[in-house]
Amino acid sequence: MGGRAWIVQIVWFTRRSSVYYCELDRRTLSDLEESAKSRLRIGGPTSYSSSRYELLFGGPNRVDNLMKPIPNHKGLYLILFVAACCCAPSALNIAQQSAAIKMRQGLWHEYPAAKVKAGRVQFQKTCAFCHGPDANGGDTGPNLMRSNVVRHDENGNLIGHVIRNGFPDKGMPAFHLSSDQIMNIVAFLRYRLDESDRRSPRHAGADYSAAELLVGNVQAGKAFFNGAGKCSTCHSPEGDMKGIASKYPATELQAVFLYPKGRPTATVTDASGKEYSGRIRLLTSYDVAIVDGEGWYRSWPIRSVKVQLHDPLAAHRQLLFKLTDSEMHNIFAYLETLK
Amino acid sequence: MRKLIVLLLWATAVHAQGLNPEALLKPPTTTWPTYNGDYTGRRFSPLTQINQANVRSLTLAWAFQTHQQAMKSTPLEVNGILYFTVPNQVWAVDARTGRQIWHFERDSGGNFLANRGVAMYKDRLFVGTPDAHLICLDARTGEKIWDVAVADTAFGYYISMAPLVVKGHLIVGVSGDQTDIKAFLDCRSPIDGHLIWRWYSTPKPGQPGANTWPNADAMAHGGGTTWMTGAYDPELNLIYWGTGNPHPVLSGQVRPGANLYTCSIVAINPDTGKMVWYFQASPHDTQDRDANETPVIFDADFNGKPRKLLGQASRNGYFFLLDRATGKALVSAPYGPQNWSEGLNKRGEPIPNLKKQPQPSGTLLDGTGTNWWAPSFDPEAGLFYVNGYRTILVSYLTRNGSEANNSDHQGGVVSPLWSQALLAAIDYKTGKIKWQHKSPAVIGYGENGSGILTTAGHLLITGDISGDLVALDPETGKTLWHVYAGGSVTGCPMTYELNGRQYLLTAVDSVLYAWALPTDPHHLEVSQQPSLTSTIGATNSRSTKVGSRASPRYPTAP
Repeated sequence: MGGRAWIVQIVWFTRRSSVYYCELDRRTLSDLEESAKSRLRIGGPTSYSSSRYELLFGGPNRVDNLMKPIPNHKGLYLILFVAACCCAPSALNIAQQSAAIKMRQGLWHEYPAAKVKAGRVQFQKTCAFCHGPDANGGDTGPNLMRSNVVRHDENGNLIGHVIRNGFPDKGMPAFHLSSDQIMNIVAFLRYRLDESDRRSPRHAGADYSAAELLVGNVQAGKAFFNGAGKCSTCHSPEGDMKGIASKYPATELQAVFLYPKGRPTATVTDASGKEYSGRIRLLTSYDVAIVDGEGWYRSWPIRSVKVQLHDPLAAHRQLLFKLTDSEMHNIFAYLETLK
Repeated sequence: MRKLIVLLLWATAVHAQGLNPEALLKPPTTTWPTYNGDYTGRRFSPLTQINQANVRSLTLAWAFQTHQQAMKSTPLEVNGILYFTVPNQVWAVDARTGRQIWHFERDSGGNFLANRGVAMYKDRLFVGTPDAHLICLDARTGEKIWDVAVADTAFGYYISMAPLVVKGHLIVGVSGDQTDIKAFLDCRSPIDGHLIWRWYSTPKPGQPGANTWPNADAMAHGGGTTWMTGAYDPELNLIYWGTGNPHPVLSGQVRPGANLYTCSIVAINPDTGKMVWYFQASPHDTQDRDANETPVIFDADFNGKPRKLLGQASRNGYFFLLDRATGKALVSAPYGPQNWSEGLNKRGEPIPNLKKQPQPSGTLLDGTGTNWWAPSFDPEAGLFYVNGYRTILVSYLTRNGSEANNSDHQGGVVSPLWSQALLAAIDYKTGKIKWQHKSPAVIGYGENGSGILTTAGHLLITGDISGDLVALDPETGKTLWHVYAGGSVTGCPMTYELNGRQYLLTAVDSVLYAWALPTDPHHLEVSQQPSLTSTIGATNSRSTKVGSRASPRYPTAP
C-alpha cells in the first residue's frame, strides 16, 4: 500500500496544494484517488476561465501574476498525463478517469488529428452540401452543433445509425459508408463540438488572417504615427520598429502596438529619505514591493513611503483611451508595411 | 399512496429546527436564510456589534478549509448551522465553532465553474448541480431525498445559482453559455422537484417580442440564461430576475433585432410564471454583457416621493433604477467609461452603437462592467455599491471557415488589453458616483471579484482584486481595516449573530474565515469546562478567578 500511495503522492506534488496529500498515514489509497478525481474534475469545459486560473495557479492577485499569459489547460492535462504515465498504473488510472471526465464535461475532442482530417474530407463529400462545411447548418440541413444525435453520440452509435438509415421523412437520404468512414465523420463532428463549445471567446491567435485587419490607410497611419499619435516620440521605423510586422502575427501586432507588455518601475523613498529603485513586484491599494538593482525584494506599506511610478506605458494608455477604430486600422496598415 | 401520505405529513409537520420561510421577509440578523440574506437582495445587515469603532480589533473566530476549488457560494445560517457549497458538494458546519456536521458529495459530469449555494425550506436543502440537476437534501443529515434533471448537460446546461424559495415553491434558473440554447426559469415543488411552471427567456413565433428576432430558429437558440438568484416583493407578488446574453455571443449580425428577453430584468408572477414587465438592459448585446446581476429592491424617496424601487448595477456598466411595480426606468447612468452605447432610447435602455459590434478587422471596445459579485444597497447611506472593472479589448468577428467559426457559439475572438478594478458607490437617486475605490490596473483581463456586504455598524465589507479583505466607510470609501487573507477573496461576505456574538464570514479561495470581535480573554479559560478540567488536572491559577461571567464582553458601539 505504501509504495502505491507514494506514487500518487509524487503525482500530486506537482500540484500547488500538495500539502494536503502528505497525510498518507491518515488516508487510504482509495481516498487519495477519490480526492484526485474530484480535483481533476474541477476545471469545467472552458479554456480561459478565470476560476480555472485561480484554481490551478493561485489567485491573480499580484501584478506579476497577472502579467503571465493564462496557461493552456490542455498543456496542463498533458503534463499531468505524462507524469501519471511515468509513475504507475494507479496514477495512469487517474489520468484515464480524467480523460473520461473531460469527455462528459463537453470537452469533446478525443480522436486523433488524422481521423479528424479524414472526417473533414468525408464530411465535405457526403454531408456539407446540406449541413454546411463546418456542420453549422446550410440551406437544407440543420446545424449539427445543436443536434441531440451528435451531442449524445458515443463512438458512432447514434451518428452511424442516422448516416446509414437517413431520415427519409425529413429528406435526408441513407449513405452507404464504411465503419471507418463513419468513425472519421464522428471524429470530425466531435472536433467541431470541441471547437464550437466555448464559454468565453478564444483569444485572437496566430491563425487569424492579417488580410482581415488590413482595412486601414497606410498613409493616414504613417501620418498619425508621426503626428497626432506622437508615436514617433519614442519609436522609429528604422530603429525599434524595424521589421516589426515580421515579428508578430497580425492580431498580436495589433495588441502589441495598442498596449505592449511593459513592466513599470518605481522609486520608493522611505521615511528616512532613502531611495530604492527597481521593478515593481507588488502594487496593491495597501502595499508596494520592488526588486532592487541587486535582485533583492523589498516591500513597504504604501502609506509609509513616497512612491514614484515610472510607467513606460503611460503614453500608450492615454492613446488607448481615445483611439478610434479607423485610427487603429490605419496604424495597423502602416505597421504591416514594416516587414 | 404511502408515498403521498409521507409527503403530506412532511408538508404539514412542525419543523422546530427547520427554516420558517417567514424569516426571508425580515432583515437578516440571527439567521441568513437565503442567498442574499433576505428577499430584497440588498445584503445590508442591521447588526451593529462589529462597527466602525471596533473593526480594527476583528479577530479570527475560526476557519474552515474545504480543500476544494475557490468558494463562490454565500453560506446560509439557520439555527446555528451554516450550509455552503462548491459544485456537487454541500457542507453543514457549526456556525459557532466552524466544525463540520456533515458533508455531501455527488459524482457527475458537467460544468464545475461555480455553485453559489443552497436554498432552505423547513428541514430541507436544495442545490443545483454541474449536470443541471436539482437535488434535495435532509438538512439534519445531508442525506439525499430526491434528484431531478432540470436540463440536458450535453448542451452545456448546468445550475450554479442558489435556488430561491417563494411561497413554498423553488425558483430555479439555469446556466450554460457554451453552445446556443434556449434558457428558462423554473418553478418547482420542494416536495419532489416536479415542475410547476417554466418561463422561457425568448419568445415563440407569434408571441410578444418575437419581432425582435430574425426567425424561429434564432429565438429557439437565443440564450438569455437565468444564472443568478433574483428578488421577491410579497406585496406586489412579483419576482424579479435578470437574464443573460443572447446566443450566439459576439456575432450579432446573425440575430438582428433587440433579442428580447435577453440581457433583461423581468418581473414574473410567482403563481403563474407569466411575465408582467421587462426592462432590457442591453438591447442586441454583442459583448457578453448579461443583466443577471442581483436586482436589488428597496423603498425610498425619489423626487421627494416614497417609491417602490429596483436598482441594478448591470454587467454592461449601467446603473438602472426602475419603478418595480411597472418597470419604468427612473435612472439609467453609466458607472464607468464606455464607448459602445449611443445614448438611451425612450424606455431608458442603452442604444448599442452598431459600428462597435465586433468586426473582422477588430473593434476597440472600452467598457465598464461587473459580474456575479453581489452588490449591496445601504439604506442609511443611500448608496448602491458594486465591484466592477473597466476593460479595454479588441473584439474580432470571425468569418466562416476560419478556426473559430463565426456560426459557432462565441462567433468571435478577442484580444484583452487593459483592465482596472473599481468599487463604485452610486447615489441611487442620480446614478452619480459618490466615491470609487480603484485597484492598480492590469494587462489583459481582470476577472476576479468579491461580493459586498454593508451593515448598520457603518461598514462596507468586501475583497479587492489584490486579495485584500477590506472594511470601508460606506459614506466615503475610506479604508477602516484590511488584511491580506492569503488568496483571492472569491465569495460574498455575510454576517449573523449567534449567542450574542456577531460573526463576519468571508471566503478566500477554499477557506471560509469567520471573523468576530475578541471575547473577554478569561471567558475561554479551562475552568469553564469542569469535567475536562478534572480529567486533565489543569491547575492554571487564573482559571479559578473566572467562569462567573454570563456572556462575553464586547467593545460597545459608538
